[in-house]
Amino acid sequence: MAVYKHNYRAYEGTLTPLWTRILVLVRYALAEAWASKITIGLLTFCLLPCLVSLVGIYLANNPIARALVGGQNTRFLTIDAVFFLKFLQSQCWLALVLASWIAPRIVSFDLADNALPILLSHPITRFGYVLGKFLALFATLSVVTWIPALLLFAYQSYSSPTPWAAANMRIAAGMFAGAVIWIAFLSLLGLALSSWVKWRVVATGIIFAAILVPAGVGGIVTGVLRTRWGFLLNIPFMMTSLWQRLVGAPEPIRAFYSLPSGAIVAMLVLACLVFVVMLNARIRAREVVRG
Amino acid sequence: MSNMGIIDLDGLEVRFGNRTVLNGLTGTLQGQAIGLLGPNGAGKSTLINTLLGFHEPSKGRAHVFGLDTHRDRARIRGSVGYMPENDSFIGNMSGVRFVRYMAELAGLPAKEALERTHEALFYVGLGEVRYRKVNSYSLGMKQLIKLAQALVHGPRLLILDEPTNGLDPMARQRMIQLIQEIRKEGSIRMLISSHLLRDIDETCDEVLILKDGRIAALCNIEEERRSNRSFMELETVGATERFSVSIRGLGCECACFPGGRIKLVIPDHIEARDLYSIASAQGVQIRRMNQRRDSLEDIFLRAMENDLENNQERTPRGSL
Repeated sequence: MAVYKHNYRAYEGTLTPLWTRILVLVRYALAEAWASKITIGLLTFCLLPCLVSLVGIYLANNPIARALVGGQNTRFLTIDAVFFLKFLQSQCWLALVLASWIAPRIVSFDLADNALPILLSHPITRFGYVLGKFLALFATLSVVTWIPALLLFAYQSYSSPTPWAAANMRIAAGMFAGAVIWIAFLSLLGLALSSWVKWRVVATGIIFAAILVPAGVGGIVTGVLRTRWGFLLNIPFMMTSLWQRLVGAPEPIRAFYSLPSGAIVAMLVLACLVFVVMLNARIRAREVVRG
Repeated sequence: MSNMGIIDLDGLEVRFGNRTVLNGLTGTLQGQAIGLLGPNGAGKSTLINTLLGFHEPSKGRAHVFGLDTHRDRARIRGSVGYMPENDSFIGNMSGVRFVRYMAELAGLPAKEALERTHEALFYVGLGEVRYRKVNSYSLGMKQLIKLAQALVHGPRLLILDEPTNGLDPMARQRMIQLIQEIRKEGSIRMLISSHLLRDIDETCDEVLILKDGRIAALCNIEEERRSNRSFMELETVGATERFSVSIRGLGCECACFPGGRIKLVIPDHIEARDLYSIASAQGVQIRRMNQRRDSLEDIFLRAMENDLENNQERTPRGSL
């Protein structure tokens, strides 16, 4: 089969290992996500807090700058768990914006034109397909969450005039764990919801709604029944509590409303299982059996 | 293993809930191009999906190239090219990008995948439009790009589900021609599902006819035709009676009708030229000779009738 001959010839070359087919899916999903200028714009926007935090760390470790900005005792220039918690929170919520844009792009195109029968007729399993898309989304969200967080941590460790890194290693570990839990959750949520909605704009809206609507319902349950368990529907509240505990920052919330870490983790695992069930129901090669 | 066909069905049964879609299919398919025929709801697409490992058999087994369709589905999919019936593509991608993606998923290294993608697109006739997005293609082009992605990795078995569906006569002819070329090339076996007898007639040498999830017929089309090629109708002028006596002497069964019409069943060793020789010797003119071969339509209808008769035999009559 050559272009100039226009006749068929069989392929006799080597084949790539089976496991690398997942990387093909990752590569094409990333290319699809980054083909949009809006994605580039969103990423740039998501990295702005990194720049601000970088400047903050520089000022905090520069005596002249500290003196100029407002003296030695200002809370504004203290680099501690609270500083990194705020950074982590801002990045994780920006990651939600990015995920709600990218997830529909990497799934909906396949579903809109019913590409699954062709995709899955190749040596790739449904699990492999979902894993490929998941890794693409996870990698993209990593760029705006734990990677810049750890880079900032490294910069603070380098800039600090006193030994700082060893004493604050929990912050780095907490930021990494907190960000990984969040972006894994977001990736599954984004893929599951995108797989059920063919229209990308609607899928983007539904991803936001899936986070915000239950939070509102949870708030009503908590207010009406005077119970803290309503917060189990409030993803922003649960994640903030989890991040505070992971990086070792003080919790400003009254003990009555504080949720046990076990309950938070159980709720997140339950939600992820629901997403997996949704994906399992939707990501199928079968066409309608007509005979 | 030596008797293994391309596709072996061993009591294959597929159920969806309480509904039995494929019911105890048994047979060996070994043609170069196998036609899969049957009315709507016969189980053609389910059989294809089962061969691709999308459905797990509830009973029995199916093998493709000796590999179990459920246990070895990854290996089977690696050696199969599948063209689904319905729209199935990524419309947002260009033709080149889509086919290259499929080639890489099938295991071709990126460079070879790109090279073969261009070749496959030129081969099916989409060379000039390969950089256009797939969702801007016409229906015929979409069928062709599905064929290109099924061919690009050089599969051993090409499964085409209703390849001419929705095509205009020109595009249909082009598709049939491509299938015939691929068949002639010889390195690819084909399983072609269609409800159009003509498509199967023009492209296949073996046919599996399904009805209500059962095999109604499994036969080699050429052999079937040969076994039924002996019907002949003649229109003669001259001494018809004497002519008919002479051809009876050759071993033909013969019946004469008014107007010089003769219907005969000729044995295998008798050729048309023998009849012409006798006619010439007796001064009889043969004005018209119609040698009737069984068409695929006859085979199909006979299979449907047989199946109906079998069903009636199975159903107890008059019982309340």
